[in-house]
Formats: sequence, structure tokens, C-alpha cells
Amino acid sequence: MTVVDFDYVRTFVRQQAAIVLEPGKEYLVESRLQTLARKENFPSVESLVQQLRQSPPNGMHRKMVDAMTTNETSFFRDLHPFAALRQSILPELLVRRAKERQVNFWCGAASSGQEVYSVLMTIQEHFPELLNWNFRFIATDLCAAVLARAQAGRYNQLEVNRGLPANLLVKYFTAKGVEWEFSPELRRRVEFSELNLIKDWPSLPSLDLVFLRNVLIYFDVETKKTILAKIRRLLRPGGILLLGGAETTLGLDEGFERIVFDKTTCYRLKP
Amino acid sequence: MVDLNTLIKQANELPAFPASAVRLAELVSRGDCDVQEVAELISFDPALTVKLLRIANSAASASEQRIGTAKEAVLRMGIEQVFALVIACGAKPFLQGAVPGYDLKDGALWRHSVAAAVAAEAVAPFCEQEIPPEGFTAALLHDVGKLLMNRFLSAEILGYIHRAEEVEHCGRLEAEALILGVHHGELGGLIAQHWKLPERVILGITYHHNPVPGMDPICEFTYLANHIAKQIEAGLDHKDSVLVPSVEVLRRLGLNLDALDKFYPIAACRYHAVSRRYNSV
Repeated sequence: MTVVDFDYVRTFVRQQAAIVLEPGKEYLVESRLQTLARKENFPSVESLVQQLRQSPPNGMHRKMVDAMTTNETSFFRDLHPFAALRQSILPELLVRRAKERQVNFWCGAASSGQEVYSVLMTIQEHFPELLNWNFRFIATDLCAAVLARAQAGRYNQLEVNRGLPANLLVKYFTAKGVEWEFSPELRRRVEFSELNLIKDWPSLPSLDLVFLRNVLIYFDVETKKTILAKIRRLLRPGGILLLGGAETTLGLDEGFERIVFDKTTCYRLKP
Repeated sequence: MVDLNTLIKQANELPAFPASAVRLAELVSRGDCDVQEVAELISFDPALTVKLLRIANSAASASEQRIGTAKEAVLRMGIEQVFALVIACGAKPFLQGAVPGYDLKDGALWRHSVAAAVAAEAVAPFCEQEIPPEGFTAALLHDVGKLLMNRFLSAEILGYIHRAEEVEHCGRLEAEALILGVHHGELGGLIAQHWKLPERVILGITYHHNPVPGMDPICEFTYLANHIAKQIEAGLDHKDSVLVPSVEVLRRLGLNLDALDKFYPIAACRYHAVSRRYNSV
């Protein structure tokens, strides 16, 4: 890949999605765009990038950003956050909000839905009463294509093999041809919409539980600070923010305090 | 990235694993099979019966009576050994060819698979953690995913994978996942599902490089068997940090590095003694 082409792609992706692609990542850009080029019938990555550079931002630019967005995900990813949900976070929330019986959850990087549905399965299995409350679960993502997939709730065999225990597969999924479809009843509990974390956010309610796991790692420091500040303003007292295992608010936003449930580190507003 | 649906389709189009081997794996997984049941199962597969009798008679001494039936073979050799041979018979046709995407020449993948299976047999008694009976099968088949992955490893893709390993300082598995969206452990699990092998075999194969998410001792066990096999193949004097198994995995199996150091020569001897048996299937 030429230096000029790489610079064009990394600049555009950074502007649109705040994803940082350092020099050295040319191989990754090329491998991802190679797939896109073939799919869109371009003879090469070079010809694809040339077309992108010569035209104003359009659907193909969107596809380029989508191709560069890492969508690695699995059911019950990392395991211990879901144990923390089950053992500590949700029981505490049920007590804290027992009088008003209203909770709002937000998954800010829903991708193809595995995290959202893992949370719903945890709730259905262990705290089904929560679903009888005024319960909102908002799931957003930058990438329209994966969001559509999340909404459809259909997964191939490799995807259900990733982290989904067999008993939950049988209980919550129905085989549809060669795919597996997540429970329509539980899917209906989720409000899916597009949201780009680095642009203006649409209106979100005040939040009791925020999942933003393994997303901030892709952004620079200033972007992280901006996002965390926005979340802080939305989080209710006692509300919990869950980040990825390698992520922290330390050094980025002093408005959070760190709490640990066994192996899971969470954040909530400082009193 | 590779199209996952294409991968799944190709996995499901692979020839089936021999029905008798699948059925026997199921029986062993249940833990309650007896000689009669095993012998009957083998008898229904004439080709398998012939192979088993040949191996049983070649192992018998001159003074022992020739073995003429599947039941006699099971009685003489024991269910465990017969099971191992039946699985090996089923696996060898798949594993004996070259796998150029992994620089494996003819027979190399098979030899490595046998080394892992022998390591699994040898190390199981030393583990404080109870090892499930599916351990041998998972160890023998742990790299079967490479067969399918190989179809997608063009020179271009291999170039990206090697570059990812260099730039990200990661192993081959992580590099495969980064470039293709899937790694060979997952593909192996997919193949094992297609073959209708027991659930624990599928888990052991899928998670043989990164056992923690598998949440089953068979994953740690298969991981260890793979490491021991690599050390045996590299030579016991060959020191490479990549070949040292994770201390945490050893702890969960009830082993430690000191115990393992004493165990390696035993495993190597056993490999050289019994590998001929599996190579003759």
C-alpha cells in the first residue's frame, strides 16, 4: 500500500470514527480493504482508494470505515463481568431502584449484538422480574451494517460457538436453516440505533448501567476524555459503567470512583 | 477477513468421520461402555475389524494365541487402547497429508497429532485434576482445523498473517483471528461439530491455544498435550520460552513446572515406544 493511500485512509477513519491507525498498520488496512475491494468489484485496493479519494464522502466511504472497525465480539466476553452482573451489580440495582422500578441500560458499542443479548440472558436467567419493570435497554453502534445484524439476532455456527454455553443456545435460540436466531421476545426489549461516539449524541435517558467495553482503546486521549465526560453526565448516582479489562477512567476523568467486584472493575460517580 | 458462512459450508462438506469411531467416542464419553458393547460396535465395521486384528496380532507375542475376533482384541488390549486405535484409524486419513499453509510436509501434522495424543495419555495420571475420557480424542484432533484454514491461506493472506505476528508481537492464532476473523482452533471445533463428536472434544479442540474461555479442564489438558508434543518434537534439550506451558494452566491441572520437567523424558520415551502403533493404523 502506498504511503499516500495509507495516509488518506487513516486520516479519514480517524476523522469519522476516531480510530487511530499508527504507521506499521498498513498490512491491516490493506488486508481489510482487500476484502472490500473484491466485494465491490475493484481490481485492487489501490483502485478502490483512488475512487474514494476522487469522490465526495458517500456509501463507499462508509463501507471503508465499517471495514476498518474491529468487530471482534463474543457472547459473555471475558466471563467475569457477567458474573459480576449476576452476583453484585444487578442485585444492588434491584434494591436501589426497588421503589421506582425503572432502569435504563445502554450498550454503546453493540456491534452484532452478542454483548446485549448476553446481558439479557443473564437478566432472564437470574433476575427476570427486572423485565417487568420500566426497563429500557438502548443498544447503539457506529456501524449500520452490524447494527442491522444485531437487530436481526441471527448468528452462524462459529458465532454461537464463541462463548455461548450449549444450554443457553438451546434455551434462547432457534435454528433457522444454518443460522441460529435469538429469542424474538427478548430481542424486542432492545432499542437499536446508530450512534457515533465521537460525534453529537442523540438524546439518551439518564442511565443505570453503561457497557462500553473494549472501545475506548481505539481512541486518542482527548476523545476518551470527551466520551467519558458525556457518560458521566448521563450516569445516575449509583449507576455503573463497565469498560474493557484493559481500560480505565484513571487519568481521564476524575468524576468516577473505581469499584471492584471480584475480577471485575467498574466505575460509578464519585459521591 | 474470510466469509464465515463459506467456512462453515466447507466444514460441513468435509467427509464424515467414521460412524463407528463417532459412536465409540460417544460411548466412552458416557463412561459406561463395556467390552461387549465395544466389540459389537467394531464388528459392524469390517474394515475397522481387519485393522484392529492386524494391530492386535502384530503386538501379540509368538506364544500368545492369535486374536481372531473383535471381542478377543478388546479383551486382550483393553477398552482404552482399542478406543485410542479406533480414533486414530478414523483420524489418520484426514491428518496425514501436507498442510503447506503451516509449512507442514506429508505426515508432519499426523506425527504432531500422535505426539499430542501420546502426551495426553502419559500426562493424565499425573494431573490432580480429573481428566475427562475425551482427552485423548481432543489431543489427537486438536489441529484438525488447520486442514480447513489451509484452503484460505494464499501467499497474500500468509503475508498479512506473518506481518501481523511481527507488528503486533502476537502468536499465529491471534494473527489468524486479526486477519481472517477466525483461527484454526475454532475451525477445528466446527469440524468436530460436523463430525458429531462429543461436546468436550469440540471444546478441547476449539480452545487448545487459549483454554480459559473454554471453561472446562479438557481445554487446559489439550493445551498441555500440544505443548508437550511440541517439546518432544523439538527435542528435550531445545529451550524456547514459547514451548513452556503457562504456569496458571499447570496449576489448574494440579501440576507444576518441576513435575513437568521430570515428566518430559517419560513422555518422550512413551512417544517413541507407541507412535509406531498409531502410525500403523
